[in-house]
Parts: sequence; C-alpha cells; structure tokens
Amino acid sequence: MPIRRLAFSTLCAAMLAGAAFSASATEYPLQLHNCGHTLKFDKAPASVVTIGQAGTEMLYALGLGDKVAGTSLWFNAVQPRFKAVNDKVPRLADNDPSFESVIGKRPALVVSQFEWMVGKEGVVGTREQFHDLRIATYAMPSDCEGKNNLSGADGTRTAAYDVNALYKSVQQLAQIFDVEARGKALVDELRQRQAQAVAELKSSKLQNVSAALWFSSADLAIDPYMAGQKGVAGYMLQTLGLRNIVTSAEEWPTVGWETIAKANPSILIIARMDRRRFPADDYQKKLGFLKKDPVTQHMDAVKNNRIVIVDADALQGSIRMVDGMEQIAQAALRLQGAAR
Amino acid sequence: MLRLILLSTAALAVLAVAILLGVAIGETRLSPTVVYQVLANQLAGAQYPVDPIDQGIVWNYRLARALVAASCGAGLAISGVILQSLLRNALAEPYLLGISAGASTGAVLVSVAGLGAGAISMTTGAFFGAVCAFALVALLAHAAGSGGLRNSAQIVLAGIAGSQLFNALTSLIITKSGSAEQARGIMFWLLGNLSGVRWGDTLLTAGVAVAGIAVCAWHARALDAFTFGSESAAALGVPVRRVQLVLLLVAALITAVMVSIVGAIGFVGLVIPHAARFMVGVRHRRLIPASALMGAVFLIAADVISRTLIPGQVLPIGVITALVGAPVFAGILLKGRGGRA
Repeated sequence: MPIRRLAFSTLCAAMLAGAAFSASATEYPLQLHNCGHTLKFDKAPASVVTIGQAGTEMLYALGLGDKVAGTSLWFNAVQPRFKAVNDKVPRLADNDPSFESVIGKRPALVVSQFEWMVGKEGVVGTREQFHDLRIATYAMPSDCEGKNNLSGADGTRTAAYDVNALYKSVQQLAQIFDVEARGKALVDELRQRQAQAVAELKSSKLQNVSAALWFSSADLAIDPYMAGQKGVAGYMLQTLGLRNIVTSAEEWPTVGWETIAKANPSILIIARMDRRRFPADDYQKKLGFLKKDPVTQHMDAVKNNRIVIVDADALQGSIRMVDGMEQIAQAALRLQGAAR
Repeated sequence: MLRLILLSTAALAVLAVAILLGVAIGETRLSPTVVYQVLANQLAGAQYPVDPIDQGIVWNYRLARALVAASCGAGLAISGVILQSLLRNALAEPYLLGISAGASTGAVLVSVAGLGAGAISMTTGAFFGAVCAFALVALLAHAAGSGGLRNSAQIVLAGIAGSQLFNALTSLIITKSGSAEQARGIMFWLLGNLSGVRWGDTLLTAGVAVAGIAVCAWHARALDAFTFGSESAAALGVPVRRVQLVLLLVAALITAVMVSIVGAIGFVGLVIPHAARFMVGVRHRRLIPASALMGAVFLIAADVISRTLIPGQVLPIGVITALVGAPVFAGILLKGRGGRA
C-alpha cells in the first residue's frame, strides 16, 4: 500500500512538474465556449469530419491529418504541402455534404467553417442535431463572432473581421486535440509573418494610399465584387495601411465601375484563381477589361500600371490569409520600386 | 396626317427627355454642365475640356445604358401586346413562352456549371437557353393542338410546362454546384441588370426593338382582327396561321435577345400594354407605338431609380419593376372586376 501511494504521488509530482514546464498538456475534461454552445471533451477526439477548407487545412497544419475521417466544402486545391496527407483522407463532397454522409463516418467532432453549413439554418444540419447523436460540433469563431448569419446573402458582419478569431480557432482546436504546443507555434508563425509584411510596407512610402480589391464579376463588364470594409479582405487592406475606397460594410459588395472610377484608387488589387466559372475569374481577362473599357482605362491605377495580383485562396479567413498579405505587401513594394 | 406628325414628334421628344434624364442621373453625382459638355463634345465636335473618366461615364456607360433600357422596355412591351392580343388573355406576357426560364438555365449552365469554361459569356448561354426553351414550348403546343393553334390555352399550358421544367433545371444546377457567391451573382443577373451594357449591346437591342416595332405595326390590322378570335380573324381575311407564326416568332426573338442581354425584367410585358390601352384605346395602330414609348420611358425610369434609391448600391431592375408593376397589376385586376364578367 504505502509503496503504491508513494509511486502514485511521485507520478503526480512528475506530471505536475511536466505540466508546469511545458504548459501544453490539455487538462481533460475540457470545457469550451464556442459560438453560443458549451463543448465538453473527456479526451481528445479520435476522429473528426471537417466542413470547410479552412478547418481542414488548419487541422493539417496542426499535424492532425491522421485523425481526419472525411472532408467537404472545398473552394480550391489543397495547399501543396498538405497534398500527401490529404490524398489519404476521403472527400465527402466538393460542396455541402449530406447529414448522413457526415455521421456515417462516426466522428467524435465536426468542424464547420460556416454557420450556414452547421448552425441555426444549417444546410447540413443544426448543431443540436449533431449533439443529439453525441457528436460534438466546433464552429469557427471567424464566422459567428461579430457576424449575423441570418441576414444578408453571405451573412452580415456586425463588427469588422478580427484576426484574433483565426488565432482563437487554432488555439482552441489545438487544445481540443491536446497539441497545444503545435497550436502555439502555428499562431506565433502567423503573427510573425503578418507583422513582417506590415512592417515592410510601413517602411516604404506607401502609406495611406487608396486601394480597391476586385475579386471577380458575374459577367465581364457587369458590376464587380469588391472587398468591403468589414470582411477579411477589407481587414487585410486596412492592416497593411491601405485605404479601401469601397465604403460598403458587406464582405463582398457589388460596386459599380462608375463609383470605382470616380474614387480613382491609387492601387488596384485583382484576384487570380484557378476557377473558370465567370469570364472575369481569369486575371488576364480582368487586366484586358481594365485596359480596354472606356472608363477604367483612364483610372490612375490602370494608366500607371499600379495593379497588384493576389491569389484568391489567400483572401479568406484561414491560415492562408497571411500568404495574401505577404503577396500584396511584396507586390506593392515592387510597384514603388519601379516607380522610383 | 398633321396630327400624326405632331404626335410622333411629341413622342420622340418625351423619349429624348427620358434618355437625357437617364444620362444625367446615376450612381455618382455629375453636374449638368459636365453632362452637357460631354454630349456637345461627342455629338457636335465641341472641344470642352472634360475629365476622360467623366466623359467615359456619360457617353459609354450612361448613354448606352439609357438606350438599351429604352430598347428593352419597348421590345418587352410590344411582345406583351402581341401575346395578349394573339392569346386573347389579359394575363399573357412574354415570359409565358418559357423564354426567361430557358435563359436562366442557359446563364446558369455557363456561370455555375462552367459550360464553356469561361469562353462563353452568360449572354450567349442565356440566348441559347431561351431559344431551346421556346422551341420546346412551341413543339409541345403544336403537338398538343395536333397541328394547329386552335386554342390559346395550349400555348399557355405548354409555356407553363416548359417554364417549370427549365426553372427546375436552374435550381438543380445551382443547388448542386453553386456557392453562395455564385448563387448571388446569378440571382442578381436574373432579376435584371443593365450594368454591363456598352455600345455593342445598344446596337443589337435597338436594332431588334426597331425591327420588332416595324413588323408589329405592319400587322396592326391583323392584330385588331384577332380581338374576336382566330375564326373571326380568318373570316375577315387574315391569314391566321401565318400571322400567328410570324408574330409569335417575333415576340420570342425580341424577348430572347432582351433577356439574354439584361436578364429577366418582369412586369414590363404584362403591365405596360394595359396602361397603354388605358391611355390610347385598343386599336393596335395606336397601341403599338404607345406601348413601345411607355415601355421605354418606364424602363429608363426604373434603371435610374435602381441606381439612386440606395446610395452606393445598385438594385436589380427587376425589383423596381415588380415593386411598381405589382400594385398597378392589382389595380388593373380590381378595375376589371367591375366591368365585363
């Protein structure tokens, strides 16, 4: 008896010491508040299904690829560094999966990128539907905090996008899966890269320069989808110190070319993507339009070729966002270098 | 004769004023002086110094758009006149032939399902969709009537069947492969949007509208004869089958072209003929030009309102025409209730 007690207390002491030094072992049972629900975990989930590429790539970045039982809702090709891992994971759907296909994988957790996927009016199901089957659901904070998803086509941001929601997702997922050290490393990396991009741009003379970001358009000459003030792309512009000429609070409002031309931004940022649904998806067509249209060809940005091209994948509230900021910063610096 | 000249001049003057207003009022504020200078530069070779962006906006954007709005309004209105007269149905309108449903399927195939991989524009897709839908509806009506158009109900029912089919296809494509952004883009386009029109589109729509009005005016007497039914028209010496065919084709073609360029703008073809009848009577010699004019002015006004109602945002035109058209339509229904049974 006494030996057992001694062994037990030694073990406890060792664990406490270990915990004190690493500060990265999750204490179970874990309780988390997530988008209006309280999640309880007795241990790290054995398997997870993701709805939304941001969540998928976040889990891969945390080294949890072997725990992902199924993925869905893809916007573009998986990042090359995750391709090997992703190839082993079954894809439930390119778009929204059915409720049964998700629960058929018997996951312990479902990670959803959007509330309109899993939420009050969720296309896949409500959170309660999953909880009834003892499947926990994690909704990424970037879509529910400061956003009302019951109004507006893509939901309306009541508060501007906050990058801390992204870090929170990383930290919380790392905590749930007991890989807090990796989560902290990832957040630090993202923070550092973003700070570097901002600092580089700050050191140049490109301060308080006006800009507009053109994503795509339903038809080539029709009103384009531009980055609004409160969305992810708007946040990126603001953080880099660029003044977005689009005043709408929506995430991707349609703004007339007349309004953009009159506002005459100094820099135009256009999105490059692999998708070819709308003619304007091809950034070459975007450039062609800008140079030929009788109004846009007279814009300062077009006349002086101050056009920055950024990957569309990097304009989302995911770990790719910092790629986008780096691309914009570097391209803007090159423009300034060329101008001298 | 003198009266005709005076009326025509007055009508053209009204149209010109409407177009001018469409050019002067828009999303951003441009002073009337600038507008005048741009028009003088382009039309009279004046040399006023104008900001090239303003010049482009007034001449290439707004003027082209006002002319397209006028052409579309006129085209849709006279298509409505044709259909209401041929089918002897006050509720008939151009979209009855399944054309807007087909256009939406074509547009969605191009932009959501990715048909053509970005090489075909939505306009082309919409046009082919519209033509296919009309062909299907026409075949169906023809088969249902076993070789003739005895009964206007045939076309109406065939049109409903065709519209339902193509609307279902549109929904299928959108829900299967569309993202929220694409669905929104499609919806915006489907409700009518004049933002992307330029001078090329103006030539096409104006040409089609003018040609359509000419053909209609040519058949004004025949259309009058149809008021009492196709048998009475035949008795009056009208070549019924040929006239029906020509006029339906003209209506379908006009509608298909307009819808594929600006989307499905509702209520113009339905309400304008009634309003015109109210003002000038039922004789088609007056009804056709009056409908064309009223349709043109109405759509220019709707376009201006759609751009200025909410600052910084452009509403789809179809929303404005519906907001105006629906109450007017209700009024027509109520007014007709007291009249003949």
